[in-house]
Amino acid sequence: MNSDNVIENINKITSDFLLLDTLSIEIRMAGKFLNSLEEIIALDKDPVLKDLSRVAKGISVMLENMILERLTPGEAYEAFEKGISVMQDMSEDILATGVCRIPADQYLGALSPFIDAPPEDEKRGEGIQETHESEIPSKEEKAEFKIQDESLMKDFITEGLEYIGEIEINILNLEQNPDNKEYINAVFRPFHSIKGVAGFLDLKEIRDLSHDLETLLDRARNNEINVNPDLIDVVLEGADLLKEMIGSLNDVIEGVRSEPAIVNNSELRKKIASFSEEPLKEEKGVKKLGTILVEDGVITTEILEKSLQKRTGTSKKIGETLIEEGRANSKQVLNALRKQSRQIADTNTIRVDVKKLDDFVDMIGELVITHSMIKQNIMLLKSDDRKLMSDISQLSGITSELQRTSTSLRMVPIRQTFQRMARLARDLARNAGKDLEIQMVGEDTEIDRNMVEEIYNPLVHMVRNAVDHGLESSEMRIETGKPARGLLRLKAFHKGGSIIIEISDDGGGLCKEKILGKARDKGLISGEDEFSDQEIYRLLFLPGFSTAEAVTDVSGRGVGMDVVKQTVDTLRGKIEIKSIEGEGTTFTIFFPLTMAIIDGMIVRVGSEKYIIPTTAIRRLLRPSKENYTRVVGKGEMLNVMGDLMPLLRLHDVFEVTPMYRNPWDALVVVVDAGNRSKCVLVDEVLEKGEVVIKSLGGDFKNVKGTSGGAILGDGNVGLIIDPEGLFELGEGQIL
Amino acid sequence: MNNDSKILIVDDFATMRKVIRNLLKQIGYENIVEAEDGVMALAELRNQKIEFVISDWNMPNMTGLELLREVRADSNLCKTPFLMITAESLKENVVEAVKAGVDNYIVKPFTAEILNEKIGKIVAKYQ
Repeated sequence: MNSDNVIENINKITSDFLLLDTLSIEIRMAGKFLNSLEEIIALDKDPVLKDLSRVAKGISVMLENMILERLTPGEAYEAFEKGISVMQDMSEDILATGVCRIPADQYLGALSPFIDAPPEDEKRGEGIQETHESEIPSKEEKAEFKIQDESLMKDFITEGLEYIGEIEINILNLEQNPDNKEYINAVFRPFHSIKGVAGFLDLKEIRDLSHDLETLLDRARNNEINVNPDLIDVVLEGADLLKEMIGSLNDVIEGVRSEPAIVNNSELRKKIASFSEEPLKEEKGVKKLGTILVEDGVITTEILEKSLQKRTGTSKKIGETLIEEGRANSKQVLNALRKQSRQIADTNTIRVDVKKLDDFVDMIGELVITHSMIKQNIMLLKSDDRKLMSDISQLSGITSELQRTSTSLRMVPIRQTFQRMARLARDLARNAGKDLEIQMVGEDTEIDRNMVEEIYNPLVHMVRNAVDHGLESSEMRIETGKPARGLLRLKAFHKGGSIIIEISDDGGGLCKEKILGKARDKGLISGEDEFSDQEIYRLLFLPGFSTAEAVTDVSGRGVGMDVVKQTVDTLRGKIEIKSIEGEGTTFTIFFPLTMAIIDGMIVRVGSEKYIIPTTAIRRLLRPSKENYTRVVGKGEMLNVMGDLMPLLRLHDVFEVTPMYRNPWDALVVVVDAGNRSKCVLVDEVLEKGEVVIKSLGGDFKNVKGTSGGAILGDGNVGLIIDPEGLFELGEGQIL
Repeated sequence: MNNDSKILIVDDFATMRKVIRNLLKQIGYENIVEAEDGVMALAELRNQKIEFVISDWNMPNMTGLELLREVRADSNLCKTPFLMITAESLKENVVEAVKAGVDNYIVKPFTAEILNEKIGKIVAKYQ
């Protein structure tokens, strides 16, 4: 049976070989030969066919070397021809006698110079491509750095930076599932792609660094080294350096600098090289921690063994541990990745300059305003032209659709921001020696591109707080019966016109007594005041407040939460805290979807119109005469459902003549800003709606109490109120 | 194959597709289709007459090797010339592609001349 098959294969090879019309074997044909030879090689267990199989193996290796351009087609042709005839002789002998009397060694001996892999440096010199590869950069090194194709370079910068961003998410997945080859590949690929293009663009430094990182990951892929936190750190560090180098190309294009930044990467390269020496370094440290725990009498050897298994998991086989602990989670991670790659495949995209896009969106804003002005003018004409009316209403539909589409153009998924946060959390946790799992939910939620940078800082503070102050150390967690590994969850979703971001941890939660005690110590509150939970939490946002027992190098310097609150306010957002002592804390931040449009109440005072942001409004009311009081030293106050709040007369602040001076004739808007609430007196509330924010520009940019202007439907301009500034203006008047 | 023949470039990195497009232009080929990965490449191949495929190896969803196997297994497409792009460090993998029926391979980075030479070799064989 076996020998029939062999003869069939040998015949196939021979006839194909005889049909070659040149004295060389081209690659497609070599592939065919390799496949046929493989079947003969597979018979090495048969004592009779063993030698034949060895010859086939020899020819096969020789062909592979030819494919890899380690020997010339001429040499290969000759050796191959001989090989076929040896195989034919052998098979005929076997067919005739039942054994193989022709030794394989003679032919294999002759073949040996073509089979043995040549030494490394010899390999380098051969092959047409390789010479080119090493020649091109060296030629350029001497010459002044010059960008040959600017548009290509621009594409490379944009896409390269994007790809590095992708590395950051995938590496987190990899850290949690170090054995998953898909994840290694996902981190490997961007470096590989960047290296490829950098080669074409003669960016030697970038090419070399990405090459090193790629090689490192390739070794991890081949199980030569372990995926441990050290490796992850080095890869992230490498990604950072690459980002910097690629970023600096922009300066070259703009002529700010003459050549790309040469980032000192010798340290990193040393680290990369050291991986072969100590692949299991991390594990030693892990074991130490467990030993200490037992020595301190914190845990028994039994618990140590359990936690050790978990800890070892973090540096070695977390994937399995994860699946053991919570199957759903690893599935979610995997699904998210698949979803992501599917999206990459599904969407057709083009790149557009952001400036163009911003201008475009602005112009559409103008169009919407002009449209509503025209509409109102026509209404005023009281025309009974039905055609005109129906045309106008059709135009309304189109413009509002256009506005919606144009705002969506600038929307980007929050994924990248979350990735940055996850990375930050991860680094912080490692520095603090805490074990942390990071979950992300709703990374596809979209947000205005211009908001992305704005929300970055507050988020950083929240994440820092959660990791530094929220999460306990693994030891403490085990003591209180929680899993050793803490959980930080980042969640985003849309609700109404807002994007809601939740940052929750399963740490110690907020301690109300501690907050109150601290606030009393700092003289922020008096001893006997009663507070609701929310009010206590809100104390955190007061300037100079910090409950951290130890100051770390990243948070807990007494700044932080007040900065968060301030930024959130500036962005017209809102922040809420939920916390259960011992179980964890959730910060929920509401941001408007876009900074270009504001949702507000349009109010009137005399002949002027103002817009108050809806996020700042707590309630609307018409006070009764009995609710109005004057308090010495504090001015006018209103009793709003039991709370005494200062009254702020908008007409006084902006010096306009109001229709009503008595609060009980007019309307009051209760406005929140910076932990204070005030009753703002207005004549009338006209409507609630979205307005397009226009900068007042130039000299009026920093006018206190307003944050911009809006062209209202009737063509008049209304000022948008900045509540915080307004309060300050009002307070200035009292003094 | 002539200068009007349609060539498909498959690479997940858009800049790389542009690089290759530019090189092809230099040697006279302007009728070019692009695909981001193997899945999209197959769709393009089944959708229109493509006379030459230049594909990267390492891509998400479907690698160049998987694409090659799909192409060779499809009776309508199996005769399409296929040139695989690979990197020096991963050159050894090329043998797999050769066994799967690739026509030739090219190592990054390459010049327009080398690309022309490789295409020429393959085309000559098919004629």
